[in-house]
Amino acid sequence: MEYIVETKHLTKSFGKEKAVSNLEMKIPKGEIYGFLGPNGAGKTTTIRMLLGLMRPTSGSVQLFGKDMKNSRIEILKNVGSLVENPSYYPHLTARENLEASRKILNVPKKRIDEVLKQVRLHGVANKKVKGFSLGMKQRLGIAAAMLHQPELLILDEPTNGLDPSGIIEMRQLIQSLPEEYGMTVLISSHLLSEIDQMATRVGVVSKGKMIFQDSIETMRKFAQASIQVRVNDNEAAWRSLLANGQKADIGEESVTLQAEDDEQVAGSIQYLVQQGFSIYRVQEEKRSLENIFLEMTREEQAG
Amino acid sequence: MILSLVKADFLKIKRKGMWLLCLTGPFGVVALQMVNYGVRKDYLFEQMDDRWLYYILNINSFTPLAIVLGIVILTSFMASIEDETNAWKQLVALPVSKRAVYLSKFTVVSCVLFLSSVHLFLFMSGYGLTLGLGTDIPYLRLMEYSFFPFLAALPVLALQLWVATVSKNQAIPVTLGVIGVILAYSASLLPDWVIWKWPALSNDWDHSYINALLGIGFGLLLYLLGMIDFKRRDVK
Ligand SMILES: Nc1ncnc2c1ncn2[C@@H]1O[C@H](COP(=O)(O)OP(=O)(O)OP(=O)(O)O)[C@@H](O)[C@H]1O
Ligand SMILES: [Mg+2]
Repeated sequence: MEYIVETKHLTKSFGKEKAVSNLEMKIPKGEIYGFLGPNGAGKTTTIRMLLGLMRPTSGSVQLFGKDMKNSRIEILKNVGSLVENPSYYPHLTARENLEASRKILNVPKKRIDEVLKQVRLHGVANKKVKGFSLGMKQRLGIAAAMLHQPELLILDEPTNGLDPSGIIEMRQLIQSLPEEYGMTVLISSHLLSEIDQMATRVGVVSKGKMIFQDSIETMRKFAQASIQVRVNDNEAAWRSLLANGQKADIGEESVTLQAEDDEQVAGSIQYLVQQGFSIYRVQEEKRSLENIFLEMTREEQAG
Repeated sequence: MILSLVKADFLKIKRKGMWLLCLTGPFGVVALQMVNYGVRKDYLFEQMDDRWLYYILNINSFTPLAIVLGIVILTSFMASIEDETNAWKQLVALPVSKRAVYLSKFTVVSCVLFLSSVHLFLFMSGYGLTLGLGTDIPYLRLMEYSFFPFLAALPVLALQLWVATVSKNQAIPVTLGVIGVILAYSASLLPDWVIWKWPALSNDWDHSYINALLGIGFGLLLYLLGMIDFKRRDVK
């Protein structure tokens, strides 16, 4: 497969501490990649290395199949980015801010108006950024990142400081990018719920290590509902189910069935009844993606 | 690439009073002599047969101070524009080399200082002409004392830019700058090798071009060291 982003054994140490450790990130073309992790997990550090702002302690970064070490400028021509808090020049207007980048990117002047419209800042184009709200500054940062219609857009917590309607707008904008412009998007967040509606692929990082990386569908499978059954003798019921070749887990007060569909559930219950168990409760428990994400990162932190 | 970076950097210093600074610096230096000559013109005319030379030397007793101070303000200011909202990361993530980013900052500060030198030449000559210092106008000497101090100050410029761009906190370059201003003011007490003495254009050989040449040479060296260090470091 052709990867737009591919890191190999990417590691960054600050003193003794490894902020990123042996990270292997793979992002295929046209995906919206949600890069998830709790505070301090190493997301920003990884992104800084992807942009050549930081030198890896070891390992390599390849974007578009080119090595960051040798082809930094060539690569960055096709990358737009917004890292951590938005950067801007407060004494300049929104338009002048974009102009400062445009001069260097060497794109036509009309792009400034186009991106300002896209992020809905065209009404305040000639106002000084000093007076902007945090959300407006954030949107200006995104506008700057899209000036040169990059093939890869890297956004580090872009919804920081946005209100709910701003988040929805941002989501719609980002979602439209792969289709309309063939862009690949990397978007980091510490909230799964923020990206699960747009991401097509997820990478979960915790303590500098990648602990999950796959399509969002695979992640959703983890989230499928499980059926909990409480009977008079849970342990015996569990053994009996296993002996019958059915997948089940034993909990403190119940047996958890790992059933794929309704028929299987019905079959298992019928079997238990036939075996003479008294069934007190059958209940469904839905695990949210957020819970799974939390569990993943918690396990990692405990271990 | 470097040209567009310089253009962008000039855009960024808009509305920050940079151009005012490059007028007030040289004007201040000449204004001091306006006071001096206004108060005791006759006395000063007695001091040396060559009244023009004496006037120029009087001017030059404050030029180094103004230049070093100007360098400290400008370099620290160029860095703080990017520091303020951590815009270094945005700038360096653009398709530019870090060397070009550094060169562009150096170029902009040099341009503003060069323009100040032009202003100094104009103000110094202009006021000198109104004083009636003599009919033989020493244009070469006026040029020498307008532009050589700037060239001789290039090492200070390179050093301040280096410290200002790599420091996380502008208090460090400003402190260094204050020490530099004091050193520049006490130039006559210092040995020739101290770079802050060079803009005063005095040395044991009595040739001001030596200071200018040393300034260019050593300035280039310090510039290269700063650039290499800037390139090597992770972006703030
Ligand atoms: N320049 C630095 N010097 C020293 N330590 C650093 C530096 N940058 C990051 N770290 C450390 O690296 C670790 C990862 O930080 P990073 O900013 O990458 O986390 P993050 O995933 O982006 O977190 P957040 O969600 O809070 O933005 C942290 O423990 C942080 O203290
Ligand atoms: Mg971060």
